[in-house]
Amino acid sequence: MKSQQALNILLGIYIFIFFTYLFGPLVIMSITAFNSAEFPSVTPWECFSLRWFNEGKIAYDGQHLAGLATDWRLHEGLITSLKIGLGVVLLAVPIGLSAALVLTQVHSRLRTAFYSISIMPVLFPGVIIGISTVVLWDRIATMGGGGLVTQLGRNGVFLTILAQTCFISTYCFLIFVARLQRFDQTQEEAALDLGANQTQVFFKILIPYMMPAIASSCVIAFLASFENYNTTVFSILSDQTLTTVIASKVRLGISPAISSLALVIILITLTVTIIYEVLKRREDKKKKELEAEALFAQTLDSRLKKTKTNGLKIPKSIFVILFFVVVCIFGFNKMVEKGMYGSTCIAAAEKEKKSNFADQLKLLQKNAEIANQRSSENGDVGEKKEFDSIFGDPNLFKDFGGFDSKVQDQD
Amino acid sequence: MNYFFNKNGPLISTYLIIAISFWLVFLIIIPQLYMFDLSFRPNIPPLLRGGPDDVYTLTHYKHFLFGSETSGESYNYVDVGVFRDTILIAVLITLINLCFCYPIAFYIAKVASPNTARLLIVSLIIPFWINELLRSFALRILFAGEGFINNVLLKLGLIDNGINFIAMDVALYTGLNYAYILLMIFPLYNAMETLDKNQLEAAEDLGASMLKTHFRIVIPHAKAGIASGCTMVFMLTAGALATPVVLSSPNTFWFTQLIYQWFNMNDNWPRGAAYSVVLLSVSVVFVLLMMKIFKVKIGEIVR
Amino acid sequence: MSADVELQNVSVSFGNFYAAKNVSVKIEKGEFFSFLGPSGCGKTTLLRAISGFSEPSDGKILIGNQDMAGIGPNKRPTSLIFQNLALFPLMSVADNIAFSLEVRGTGKLQRRKRADELLELVALSGQGDKKVHELSGGQRQRVAIARALAIEPEVLLLDEPLSALDLKLRQKMRIELREIQKRVGITFIYITHDQGEALTMSDRIAVMNQGELEQIGSCHNVYESPCTPFVATFVGENNAFYGTVSAVDGDMVNVSADGNNFSAKAGDLGEGKKYTFKKNDKVIMFVRPESIFLKDQNNQADNVFTADFKAIEFEGNLKNIYMSINGKQNVRCSVSNAVDTTVLSNSKNVELKFSSRDAVVLPVGPLAVD
Repeated sequence: MKSQQALNILLGIYIFIFFTYLFGPLVIMSITAFNSAEFPSVTPWECFSLRWFNEGKIAYDGQHLAGLATDWRLHEGLITSLKIGLGVVLLAVPIGLSAALVLTQVHSRLRTAFYSISIMPVLFPGVIIGISTVVLWDRIATMGGGGLVTQLGRNGVFLTILAQTCFISTYCFLIFVARLQRFDQTQEEAALDLGANQTQVFFKILIPYMMPAIASSCVIAFLASFENYNTTVFSILSDQTLTTVIASKVRLGISPAISSLALVIILITLTVTIIYEVLKRREDKKKKELEAEALFAQTLDSRLKKTKTNGLKIPKSIFVILFFVVVCIFGFNKMVEKGMYGSTCIAAAEKEKKSNFADQLKLLQKNAEIANQRSSENGDVGEKKEFDSIFGDPNLFKDFGGFDSKVQDQD
Repeated sequence: MNYFFNKNGPLISTYLIIAISFWLVFLIIIPQLYMFDLSFRPNIPPLLRGGPDDVYTLTHYKHFLFGSETSGESYNYVDVGVFRDTILIAVLITLINLCFCYPIAFYIAKVASPNTARLLIVSLIIPFWINELLRSFALRILFAGEGFINNVLLKLGLIDNGINFIAMDVALYTGLNYAYILLMIFPLYNAMETLDKNQLEAAEDLGASMLKTHFRIVIPHAKAGIASGCTMVFMLTAGALATPVVLSSPNTFWFTQLIYQWFNMNDNWPRGAAYSVVLLSVSVVFVLLMMKIFKVKIGEIVR
Repeated sequence: MSADVELQNVSVSFGNFYAAKNVSVKIEKGEFFSFLGPSGCGKTTLLRAISGFSEPSDGKILIGNQDMAGIGPNKRPTSLIFQNLALFPLMSVADNIAFSLEVRGTGKLQRRKRADELLELVALSGQGDKKVHELSGGQRQRVAIARALAIEPEVLLLDEPLSALDLKLRQKMRIELREIQKRVGITFIYITHDQGEALTMSDRIAVMNQGELEQIGSCHNVYESPCTPFVATFVGENNAFYGTVSAVDGDMVNVSADGNNFSAKAGDLGEGKKYTFKKNDKVIMFVRPESIFLKDQNNQADNVFTADFKAIEFEGNLKNIYMSINGKQNVRCSVSNAVDTTVLSNSKNVELKFSSRDAVVLPVGPLAVD
C-alpha cells in the first residue's frame, strides 16, 4: 500500500536524521583532532597534523597546550582510573554475586523487598552516592585519631572505590540474577548426591556455570567505573581520574587534544565491538555445526550433512574496509599536494598567524595612539571611553579568540 | 537460618553474609543515613563537633527556601529558581526524548528486519561507550563561539556575528538531551519487542488508524518500558553533572552544580548535604509517581 | 556391596499437605523394587526422602540397618538418577562419570581408569571425551547410570528415568537396566507410573495412591491378587462388576450382579489373609479381559453370561471387544488377534464365560481413574 510505503520512507528519513544527530558531533570531533589549529575546528582548516596526539603546542600566552602523549595530568588520571577500576571489579563482582545467590534462597515474601533494596543504588543520583560516602568517611576519619583508618578515610582512591562499588554492585547483581534464573537446580542436587560437600558444589558446579556472567560483570564493572564522573568528582578528593582531568579542561582550556583522546577511545571501542561481534558469530556458527553433527549421527538425515566448506571465507565487510582505506590514501595524497600537511605547513601557518598577531598589535598601538591624541585634544582624562574605542574593535585579535564582548563596568 | 548454613556450607555462607551486609549496610544504608543526619547539623569546624554547638537545626533547608538572613529578599529566588529550572527542564527533556525515541524504538522492534535491527542496535550503542564528558565536549566544539556551527553559518553568509549558543542554554539543553537518549531507546525497544506483530496486523485489518493502533495497543503494552525510560532519563538529567560542567554558561546553573559549589568551594558540607537530600527526595518522589501512574513495580524499571 | 532399605511409618508433609502417609516397607538387599502409582501419589517424595533431600516429618528411614536421620544426601550410601538426568553440561562424559571420585580426592589416573570401566559396563566405550550435548538421549541415560554407579553405592534410586524416551528405546533400556542390575548386584529402587515397566523389570512392586501404600507384592501377586479396587484397576486392565454378596462358601463368594449369579474368589487382604464377606455386602468383582472367553474357546469356565456387542478395537497382537450387559455394565474382553471375531458384529446376547479362579471379589472402593 502506498501510504504504508510512504510512512516507511518517512521513518527511514527520520532514522537517518536521528543517526546523524547521534554520530555527527562525534565525527566532527574526530576530524578536528587532525587540524593543527588551536581551537578544535573543521573550518578553517589550518593544517593536517598529528600534533595533538603527540606534543601539542605552546600557546601565545606561554601556556603549553599538551598533546596526548605529553599530557602528564592525563596520564596520571589514567593510571588512577585504572587502579580504581581494578579495585571496583574486585569488590563489586563478588558482592553482586552474593546478592544474586541470596536472592534465590530467601523466602518469597522477603524476595521483593530484598530485590528492591539491591536495586536502589542505581536509582540514586550519582552525586548523592559520592557525597554520602565522603561525609561518612570524613566522620570516621575524624574519629579514627590519625591511624590507618584516618588515612583511608581521606584517601580519594579508597573513597572512590567504595562509592562506585555501591552502585556498580547492582549492575553485577542484575547480570548474575539473569544468569542464575536459567540454572538447573538439580545439578547441585546431583553433585551433592554424588558425595560433594557444599563448598565443592559451589566451586565445581555453580562457578563454572556462572563464568560467562562473571566475565561480563568484570567488563561492565570496569567500564562503568572507568567512565564515571558524577560520583567520582566528589569522592576523589585531591586525586584525579581520567574523567575529572577531562572535566577540568573546561577551565584550563579546550584544545584538540580532547578530540584526539575521544578519537582514540572511539577507535578502541569500534575495534573491540567488531572483534566481539566477529568472535560471537563464529562461536554461534560452531555451536550450530556441532549440534547438527550430533543430530546427524543420530538420525542419519542426509539433509543435515554439511559438506565442509574448504578454503577461507571472505567476509563482505573486507570490501568496505578496503574502500575506506583507498579513500583515505587518496585524500591524503590530495592534501599533501595542496600543501596542507606536515611541519612546513605548520610553520607557514604559524608565520601567518604571527604576522597577523603583529598586525593586530600594530592596530592596537595605532588605536591607542589615536585615543591618546583625542584625549589630549579634548582635554579629557576619562580613560573609559578610550578603552572602549581601543578594545571594543570587534576585529581585534579575532583569530585568537577575541575579547569578551561584554565590557565590564569599571565603576 | 540453619537451613541457610546447611545449604551453602560454612565457607560460602560466611562469604555471602559478609559481602551482603557490607554492601547493604555499609555502602548503601549508613552513608545515606549519615548524610541525612548531617544535613541537619550546623557547619562547624571538626573540633567543635559533638560539643554544645552541635545541635540539630533546619538552617540549611531554610537557606534553600528563604535565602540567607542578610539578603533582603523573602525567598531564595536564586537557589529555588535553579532547582525549579532543573526539574522543569529535566521533565521537558524527558518528554522530548520520549517523543524522539519512540519512533526509533518502534522501527527497530517491529519494522526492521532482524539483521538491520541488530546492526542498528549495535550502532546505537557505540556512541555511548564514549564518556559523557567527551560527548559533551563534542557538542561544545559544535556550539562554541568559534565552533563548527558558527563557522559554517558565517561561511555561508547566513549570519554576521557568532551566535552565543552557550549563553542561550541551547548547548546545555541539547547536551542533556543527547546524553541519555540510549536510556530511553532501550527500555522502549525491549518492551516493544515482546509485542506480537500479529496484533498490529490484526488492528490494521480491523481498520484502525495508525494513531489508534499506537495509542490503544502499542503504548499500553510498552507501559513498563516507557516508565522505565522516563524514570532513568529524568533522574540522570536532574542529577547530571558532567554535561552542565562542560556546556553551561557562567550564568546558568544546574542544581547539581549548586551542590558542588557548597561542597568544594564554600566548604559547607552540611549545607551541601541538605541540598543533596532535596535532590534525592525529588528523585524518590518521581520514581514513586512513575510507579503509581504506570502501575509498574520497581523491578521492571531497572534495565 | 548392597544394602537393604527399610521405611518405618514414614510420613513426609509440606505444611498441612501430606505427600506420603505412614509408609512402611522393607526392601531386600539386591532387589529390584519399584514404586508404582499415578502422578502425585508420593513416590518421588519417598525417593527424595530416601536419598536425603528431604527429612521425613514422621517415622524412620534405615539403610543397612542404620538410621539415616540427619545424614545429608552426600553422606548416604545412595545414588539418585534424576528424571532429567542432571548431567553436568560443562564437563566431558568421563569427567561426569568420575565426578564422585573427584570430590573424594581420587587421583587422575585412577579416575580415568574407573571411568573407562564404567563406560564399558554401559556399552559406551570410547565416548569418554565427548561433551554431554553431543550424545543421544539413550546414550545420556547410560552416562547417568554410569555416573551413579561410580562409587559403588549400596542403593541406586531411579526417578522415572525412561519417561523421556520413545517406546522402542524404552523397551530396549528396560532390558538393559535389568541386566546392569543383575551384573552389579545392588539394590535398585525404581519409581514409575508405567505399570508395564514396573511389571517387566521388578522383583517386587509397591503400588501407591495419594501418599498411601495400597499393596506390596511380587508382580504376579499384585497382578493376580490385587488387594484393593485401585490396585486391581491401576495395574493392567480389569473389568469391574458391581454387585452384592449372595452367599459365602469358605474362600469362594457368590456375587449377584446384573441379574447374573457369579462365583468368584475372595480377594487378598494382605499378609496371607483374605477378606471375609457377609451376605448382602456391596462388592466389586474383578475379572481381567484376557480371562473372559468367547463361546467356542476354553471350556473350563464355570461362569457364563451374555452381553450385547458394542465395539471392537484392533491393537495389533490383541483385539479388545467391548460389550455391555443390559446397557449398564460394561464388559471388555481381550482375545488374541488369531481368533476369528467376524460373527460378533452387532450381535446381541453374545455368550461369554470365565472361570471362578480368575475372578476376585473386593469391597467397594475407588478405582484408578484413567
